[in-house]
Order: sequence, then structure tokens, then C-alpha cells
Amino acid sequence: MGFAELLTPHEVRRTHEASLEVLEAVGIAAHNPRAREIFASHGCSVDSETGVVRFPADVVETYRALAPPSFTFRGRDPQFDRTIPDDGPIVVTGSSAPNVVDPVTGVERRATSTDIATIAHLINELPGFDIFSISTLADDAPEGQFSLSRFYPALKNCLKPVRSNTPNMDDLRQVIALGELIAGGADAYRERPVINHHYCPMVSPLSMDVDSTEAVLWLTERGLPVYTTVVPNAGLTAPMTMMGCLVVGNAEFLAITAFQQMVKEGTPVIYASLPTVADMRSGAYAPGAIETGMLLAAQAQLARFYNVPAGGYIGLTNAHSDDAQSGFETGMNTVLGVTAGATLLNMGGLFSSLMAFDYAKCVIDNEIALMDKRVWRGLEFSEDNLALAEIAAVGPGGSYMGRQHTKARMKTTAVLPRLADRGMRGQWEEAGRPDIHSRALAEARRILAAPNPAVWDAALDAAIRERFPGLVAGDAVTLEAPQE
Amino acid sequence: MGHEELFEQLKQAIIAQDEDAVLAGVDAALAAGVEPKTIIDQGLLPGLNVIGEQFECEDIFLPELMQAALAFQAAMAVLEPKIKESGNAGPKKGKIVLGTVKGDLHSIGKNILKLLFETSGFEVWDLGIDVDLFKFVDKAKEVDADIIAMSALLTTTLVGQRDVIEALKGQGTRERYKVIIGGGATTQGWADSIGADGWAGSAYEAINLATRLVS
Repeated sequence: MGFAELLTPHEVRRTHEASLEVLEAVGIAAHNPRAREIFASHGCSVDSETGVVRFPADVVETYRALAPPSFTFRGRDPQFDRTIPDDGPIVVTGSSAPNVVDPVTGVERRATSTDIATIAHLINELPGFDIFSISTLADDAPEGQFSLSRFYPALKNCLKPVRSNTPNMDDLRQVIALGELIAGGADAYRERPVINHHYCPMVSPLSMDVDSTEAVLWLTERGLPVYTTVVPNAGLTAPMTMMGCLVVGNAEFLAITAFQQMVKEGTPVIYASLPTVADMRSGAYAPGAIETGMLLAAQAQLARFYNVPAGGYIGLTNAHSDDAQSGFETGMNTVLGVTAGATLLNMGGLFSSLMAFDYAKCVIDNEIALMDKRVWRGLEFSEDNLALAEIAAVGPGGSYMGRQHTKARMKTTAVLPRLADRGMRGQWEEAGRPDIHSRALAEARRILAAPNPAVWDAALDAAIRERFPGLVAGDAVTLEAPQE
Repeated sequence: MGHEELFEQLKQAIIAQDEDAVLAGVDAALAAGVEPKTIIDQGLLPGLNVIGEQFECEDIFLPELMQAALAFQAAMAVLEPKIKESGNAGPKKGKIVLGTVKGDLHSIGKNILKLLFETSGFEVWDLGIDVDLFKFVDKAKEVDADIIAMSALLTTTLVGQRDVIEALKGQGTRERYKVIIGGGATTQGWADSIGADGWAGSAYEAINLATRLVS
């Protein structure tokens, strides 16, 4: 499949050059002292008073070229490992929402570690999702176990790769210790690190924070998987033009990529972003707006120029329920991203601008994800697929319905959605006019009524609980299946 | 030029978000012998009221609201020292200690809020970003604040807002202050759950909230 391109090759090159100009002339305010030292010792100039780092173009070019072309996510079960771009597009849940819409009461409330366990079970079963980025926070986390209370229920209930962040180094070390227990020791963990780390050390415009930078540095030094996302917001943290926003985000991507390569050459990265254009009527954050998809598509082009995988948060929605807005924001944006060659889509399960997880939304997004993956497969051009012999055999006025050729391909040519309604209106009315939300919630309940095959064995669980006293239970709830 | 005409010009300059015209209008009014406080009450504030109404019905957008506020602040930088000299400084609406919580470096929303707080007559101590909980508590005590206002954009940092409230409770000083929260990661539900006195979804709403809490 050829990729959709919103920029000409000349425009891509010029955007790259403009980003280099920004890094050289304006620079990055690096708040982490160790990061400043690393930049200084690798050819950047650091203003000791302001902490602003300026990057000579050749330094950026040298280091960004060391980034390899692929990034691998590992899960507890290696069959779920995913490498982009080759296994793309891979679909990831949206992450770190403070709230959840309760699947039984329908009331939005603070999310807990039990919700994380239950969502992990759901993600493990939904075929559209490849990576479980821990969808919510855990309001019930015991003192000192903020991150453990998220990673433990997630990993315990999901064989697919688990991805998330930690707010400080103590939490990060705890989470790594958990990973080592799961892997069966520190050496085994280094071999197969089953925790995939993600941070946003770049704070737009053109700044680098302290704590996330420290985590990225620590993980990069150890060769553990970590990637970052840049988050420019046109009108607030970037200029009010699409191109200006692109340049700020691109300069930030180049800075953090150069940083990681300075720390350890050959460190895998992803050009991941969450670009937005603010709604200037009020300043509102608008991750569901079409401009996010357009900017992410352009970044996918830049990523090809840099020969690194691309993607990010796309298909998020500002909507507060599973309504048409939720559907068109997730659908339109992810299709834009996929056709432009983005292979990482952080898209599932959240609404209200990343504030709440909704089980039905998650199941709807699974279906959108399957459609996105279908788009990626393309029209599968081949002489065989032109089906000339079949056309001749059926002839004018014939039917393809009863043909062997049709039978052999009827389950693979098209996505067979479980939620999209293709029945007659009368059937729908007879069924009580179920909307997409209720159909999706029923599907979630059907999945969550069954036992979770992903839960690890009791011996491992006992070892983990011994190592971390007071740990949350981390068990998914079993829901009542809907009446068929 | 009569005073009424001067006031009208000032009002229109604020509505036009034209800082140069506002400053010129202030100079002209001072030269005509108008009291600084009268310039504010009869020229600048009527302009700001129109700006507020225009913003509420989306006739103008946030950048325009901010420019008008900046023009107002530029005028205040000229007028306030004169009011102080004359010893006629009226009371401020209230004292606010403001900051983005620990671990969070997002400043833009907070800075918009600071501007609007000051424009609407509050005295503001801006502690900046990545603010340790004790900095909030200590500064509030030091300046005898009416309100502690905390921002958090990241869902992973918003617990910092609860920490401050808990620390105030621990010191037995929770009742001394009104605590309000905001920022992209926050909701009314979160504010309720941590026992904050108020939440606002935008800087503009926060002004109304703060005004209500101190009146």
C-alpha cells in the first residue's frame, strides 16, 4: 500500500531543517542537571544560567541517525510480542485516566486496581488490541505503591505487552523488581523485559522535565525498552499554524532522540506524539479534533524520513459518551494515521479527553481497530486477486454467491464486525432498539463473564505478594453475562 | 476633551485589546487631572466588563480575552503606584497562593489564571511549577492567604492536590483557607473526593469561583 502524504518531499525536508534551526537558535530548556551534562559532553552548548541547551545541526544529525528502524514490545507470552513497523499497525489502549465508568452501575467514579485487573482481562481477549497501556490510575493504591498497584493487576491479567509510566524513581525500581520476579530473575528480565516503559519528558514548548527525563535516562542506560511522546498544543504551547506545531513537536522529538542516543547508541525509539490544536474559543484541549490526525499523519511522514517507527495518541475523543462524536473522532483520526503509515495507535477505551475509561468504548474501539488493520492490509493487489478466471467462469448476469472461490475468501476479505448492525430495521426494533453502547457493553460483559486464562500461577503470585507486603489483590471481577 | 469622553476612549481601547491605546488613554486622563482610581472604575473596568460578556458568548476568543487583560495590567502598572502614593489604595478582593503541583511542569493554564486573577482584583503569589506541598502551605501561612489554588495537568500528578489538603488538615489549618483546584487532569468529582472547596473547568470560571468564595 502506498501511504497518504500530506506533505511533499520538499516540505518534509524543509520541516526537518526548520526543526534543526529551532534547536540551534532557540534550544531546549533542560531542567534535569544530568541531562544538561550529557548534552554538554556530546557537543551541545549549555547556558549555565538558564539551563537552555543549543544543538549544532551536525550533532543532531549524527545522533538521530543512530536510532534503529524498529521498536519491540514484549509481553508475558512471546506470541504477543510486537515489533513496529513490521507488525503494524499495533493498537494500544489510552492510558492513565483517573476515572472509570462502572460497567454495572453506569456511573463514572474513581478507578481502582480492580478495574485495572478487569480491563486487563478484557484487553487480553479483544483481538484488535496489541498492547495494554494501563488504562487508569488506582485510587485504592496503598501508601508507597502507586505504580505497583497499576502494574501488578495489569501484568497478572494480561499476556499481551503491558506499557505504562511511573512518577518517580522509587516507583520505577519497584516496578522493575516486579518484572524481574515475573521473568524469573534479573538476567532473565534483561533478556526479555516484559514491562514497556513510556514517558513524556518533553514539555512543550521546547522544555525537558526532571523526573521523566531521569527515568528515560536510567532505562536507556540499562538497555530497557522505553519510548517517549511529544505533545505540542497549537495556540498554547506551539504556534497557531499546523506547520509551526509540527516544527515544535519535531524539534522536541529530535532533542529527546538525540538524548537517548547520546546515552546509549542504537537505543530503539518511536516517533510518538499527541499533537493538538487548541480550541481557542475557550482554550479547550481537543485531542479528538481532526487536526490531531492530520498532524500525526505528517509526523508519520517525518518518521519515514528519519527511518524510525511512528505513531502516538490518536483517535482519542472529547465526547463524554459512546455517541456519534466519539465514533467519528476515533474513526476518522485513526484512519488518517493508518493511511499515512503510523504503526502505533494509542486509541482505545477512553473518553472525556482521556479522563475516563469506558468498557463499551473499549469494545467499540476494538472494532474500529480491526477496521484500521483492514485498511492497512490494503486491496491486496495480485494477479490472482484480479480473479479473471472467476469473472470468466461466472460470466455476464451470473452470481458469485454459491461459488467455491467466494466460500474460500468470505471470512477474510472483509472485516466481520460484532457490533456494527447490518440487520433489517424490523429486527433491530424487535430487539428493543439497542444502540452501539448497549451492544458493546453486552459484548464486554460476555467476555468478562468467562474465566481469565491469562492469570499467572499461584506460586508466582505468592512470591510477588511476599516481596511486596500489603499489595492490592489485583483480581478481575467476573461480570454477569447478558441474556442471549 | 471631557472626562466622559476620556473614559469612553479607555473603555473602547480595552475592548479593542489595544495596549498602546490604553496607555495613551491613561496618560491623557492623568494629564486631565482624573484620579487614578476613577480612571480604573469608569474607564478600564467598564471595558473589561464588555470583554467578559463578549467572551462568554464567543464573540471573542481566549487570546483576545488575554490581550485585553494584559492591556489592563499595563495600565495598572502605571496607576497602582500613584494610588499607593496617595494612600487611597482600596482593599484587594483577596490573596491567592497559586501553583502547579509537584512533578508537573505545565505552566500555561496556570499563567492564564494568574493574569485573570490579577485583572479581576486579587493579589496573587505565583509559586510556579513543580511546587512542593510545603511550599503551598508555608506561603499561604506567610501571606495569610484567602485561597490556595492548585493546578495539575497530568493525571499522575494530581494526587499532589490531595497531599496539600491533607497537609493542611494535619497542621490544623485547613479551615483557614479556601482550596480550589483546576487543570486538565481534574474534575468536580475529584475536587469533591479530596475535599477541595471548589473546582473550575476554565480560568474564566475560576475567577467567578474565587470571587464567590471570598465574598
